[in-house]
Amino acid sequence: MLKRLALAASLAAALAGCDRGPPSPEAFARHAPALTGRVVDQAQLLAPADEQALAAQSAAIERETGAQFVVVTLASLEGRSIEDYSVRLGRRWGIGRKGVDDGLMLVVAPAERKVRIEVGYGLEKRVTDPFAAKVIREQLVPRFKEGRFAEGVRAGSDALAARLRSRMSDAQIARLDGAAT
Amino acid sequence: MNRTRFATLLLAPAAAASLAGCGVNSIPTAEESAKAKWADVQAAYQRRANLIPNLVATVKGAAASEQNILVGVTQARADATKIQLSGDQIGDPAAMQRYADAQNRLTLSLQRLQEAYPQLRSQENFQTLMSQVEGTENRINISIQDYNKAVQDYNTEIRTFPSVIGAKVFYGAKPMAPYQATTPNAEQAPTIDFGNSAR
Repeated sequence: MLKRLALAASLAAALAGCDRGPPSPEAFARHAPALTGRVVDQAQLLAPADEQALAAQSAAIERETGAQFVVVTLASLEGRSIEDYSVRLGRRWGIGRKGVDDGLMLVVAPAERKVRIEVGYGLEKRVTDPFAAKVIREQLVPRFKEGRFAEGVRAGSDALAARLRSRMSDAQIARLDGAAT
Repeated sequence: MNRTRFATLLLAPAAAASLAGCGVNSIPTAEESAKAKWADVQAAYQRRANLIPNLVATVKGAAASEQNILVGVTQARADATKIQLSGDQIGDPAAMQRYADAQNRLTLSLQRLQEAYPQLRSQENFQTLMSQVEGTENRINISIQDYNKAVQDYNTEIRTFPSVIGAKVFYGAKPMAPYQATTPNAEQAPTIDFGNSAR
């Protein structure tokens, strides 16, 4: 009887302590910047005045619509694609409200000559794929090609802000952009 | 005797409490998570498939030549949408591979399409559709990463002590298969034949 008790006790002891700690945050890039504000200019493309204007615009958007808009310039993509890097950075930073997933990131990597607009799932009906591609094609790329980075970022940011503030319905936006619903 | 029975009585809830942290709850939770993530993968692929008829129609209207590439895309889409994998089938690596092969052939045929019509890149209709195909392919990649992470978590859970006890005793839990999006050397050795690839 005692033996059985001892066995049961040791089994219980062995089974206890099953709790594992929370998983550590995923390390994906050694030099990924920290989220220091609404504008993270790691590649140093923006003058202080640009940064202030962009940050003010981002704050206004969040006040009016709840969406969180962040501008990021990266010194290096560290061998990753800009799509992959942006998604991981956005997830690590937790851009957008939980459950709403209304984060929006304008990501510029001048060294690799790449740019991306990363859209949270909750904003996909507002900032559609064709619209994001059009902003890149018409607002960002032509200015970036001439080395006018700050100007391009400001113009792209204006276009995105206007879209986030738009009173159009999702259906109207889909029609306007030619996006599949 | 009395004292022992009392001790056993105390032990039962203690054992139940510790078992709760040992796979009884965490295994089904990990399993459901992986299944949900798999549903996201299939939804993203479906979204891509839904875009293709419009894409093919646009290309057809703009460039009449090289019809066989378009036929290849349409055929690959039909093959890819024929195969669906339920959550219960994701423990079957062979079924998973068939699904992945069909989707990968569609990916390749879409790449061929873009390469074949460089002049379409400046066309607004084509840009609109292609931006959505590309956006959807990004979503596919993200959903695959999330699914594979969930599978890894599940497989680790059922193989590590102490959950392995719960896995063996209560569930007979089998490992799940991760998803292989691109076959190695897919670019160099396309598996699809468009009929005129005289290279």
